[in-house]
Amino acid sequence: MTSKPFRADWISKSFAGIVLGFFAAMAICGLFFLLPLQIGRSGEAQLIMWLLGPIWLSILSTCFLFRTGARAWFWLGLTNVVLYALYFLFKSF
Amino acid sequence: MKVKADIIRTYKSLHTWVGIISGMALFIAFYAGALTIFKEPITHWATPPIQQPERIDLEKIPSVLGQLVESEPSAARNIQVNLAPEAHHTHQVMWTVEGEKGGDHDVSSLRYFSAHLDKQQTLVTEEVSPAPVAQFIDTLHRVVGLPVDSDPNRWIMGVFAILYVLALVSGLIILLPILVKELFAFRLGRKPKRVWLDAHNVVGVTSLPFHLIMAITAFGFAYHDLIYDAQDKLIHDGQLRQALFSSAPKPNPEQSTDPTTMLSPERLLANAREVAPSFEPYQLQYSGITTPRASVMIWGHEAHAIAPRAPGGFIAINPYSGEVQSTDYLPGQQPGEMVAVSSFFALHFATFGGSPIRWAYFILGLAGAWLFYTGNLLWVENRRRRSKPDGTLFTQRKDVKVMASLTVGICLGSVCGISLMLASSKWLALESQATYAHFQWVYYLMFFAAIAWSFIRGAARSLVELLYLASMLTAAMPLTSLLSILIPSTGLWMHTELDTLMVDSVALMLAVSFIILAKATSQRVYHSQVTDSVWSYRPAIRSV
Repeated sequence: MTSKPFRADWISKSFAGIVLGFFAAMAICGLFFLLPLQIGRSGEAQLIMWLLGPIWLSILSTCFLFRTGARAWFWLGLTNVVLYALYFLFKSF
Repeated sequence: MKVKADIIRTYKSLHTWVGIISGMALFIAFYAGALTIFKEPITHWATPPIQQPERIDLEKIPSVLGQLVESEPSAARNIQVNLAPEAHHTHQVMWTVEGEKGGDHDVSSLRYFSAHLDKQQTLVTEEVSPAPVAQFIDTLHRVVGLPVDSDPNRWIMGVFAILYVLALVSGLIILLPILVKELFAFRLGRKPKRVWLDAHNVVGVTSLPFHLIMAITAFGFAYHDLIYDAQDKLIHDGQLRQALFSSAPKPNPEQSTDPTTMLSPERLLANAREVAPSFEPYQLQYSGITTPRASVMIWGHEAHAIAPRAPGGFIAINPYSGEVQSTDYLPGQQPGEMVAVSSFFALHFATFGGSPIRWAYFILGLAGAWLFYTGNLLWVENRRRRSKPDGTLFTQRKDVKVMASLTVGICLGSVCGISLMLASSKWLALESQATYAHFQWVYYLMFFAAIAWSFIRGAARSLVELLYLASMLTAAMPLTSLLSILIPSTGLWMHTELDTLMVDSVALMLAVSFIILAKATSQRVYHSQVTDSVWSYRPAIRSV
């Protein structure tokens, strides 16, 4: 897989960044919310709303670095599986 | 730094595409946004002198508000009491009524009313209209040149914010390999394209932090409701409302709901002063005073702290008991997580370092508009058809001509439109109460006329002409002020506070800058030896 040449794959990489990037960013916000911080709930809820944009857009703007669209979907998909596993695991405690 | 050629090529295409799609919308957002930093001074500048009725003593405010909500029940939701109405060119007691279609941020259909006591101490209410011109410039800024700040328009703005982030990151990535070597290598005198590219790069890189802040906060402003909804489902399990309002004042069913029994504003201000001695209040905003949720937000400024919102910050106090309800939005007294949240607002609104920061943002905003404009110039330049060595001229590509005309028409159209609105605002106020809709007409007529002109005359000639027009329209602002002094009988006015004088001065400086740009452009268009470009016009030479 490593020897595969670089491909632009605009549509597939863009959608990977938009869709999987969004869900990954949501999970990261969720994990942040589960951190045992001693801060006001209202402020924390607002903070994770603001965090979503920077995280999502960081993923979206760097996902064109993947060598192919398929790899973007694979790695971002895997990231999502790990993040949501962690999120629901910690949430259940 | 080494980056693979494939990656550079991909991000170059990305930069070109997102740049060309979003450049002109962002130009409007930045030009209008730079002016919006001085929204208050511009509003003061455009507001006719108000015949101030005798001020109501602060201790009488509770009984006046009692009378007011009796005769105008719609006012009870939200009443503002300004502490220094003269200084702010406004009325002491005001309230607003939303129009039927008004959304959260839509100010186009708001109606404003004021109340005062006449000589016989009876309550008089009237509809007033604060000069809406700066409000409309702010709207143009918020929704990239669209007419009203509605939800769908803000979602459109959000798409541009996303494209803008992509443009910033891709721009940085393609510069990485040459960043150190070439960033400050200004190759003046070489090919003009290199000069523009070098300038585009150096402005882009040096103002990158500012642009990242703007892009990310704009994204939040566009989609906060949608993000909250999504996070409510996934993260808050439907408990978001409770979370957001967990520190909001609890309703107190025991207490009076008769506004005449409220504490005097002086007592409320004293309570605020106890909590925050250096906080300088300018307004009391009463809400729900006929309900058990009564609250008064005391708005003000604090010189040594970041402000959570554009108009400053507030302390919430119960107007019946005087107890402090919340300091979540009080500058300097916010809990840590609220400072973190407020920093997103303060970094966008330039409310964190007083005047120097506001002027820095003004310059960065104009530089941003220039950055997007040069981006389009480079797009056009990269697609230019050069003449053959024997001097044969080609016609330039159609799409290149169209893009050049669009760039000139939209960018200069918004500049001219905004200047025309401001220049006409005092004259419109003479005839009648100038409304929001008047300014929408003035702006869009100018905007679309400029676009039409740029297609009729071509990018080159129209750019020169529109720059001269922009200069004249902008100069008309201080000239109107001057006229009011020379011929007072016109009914025009000129406020002479420092901040309104600055509006006239900055307009004058911009007018001069536009003339300088117009002269330079005219030189390029009519007298340059380089004729194989859309930026050249030679009536004598027929192109092939």
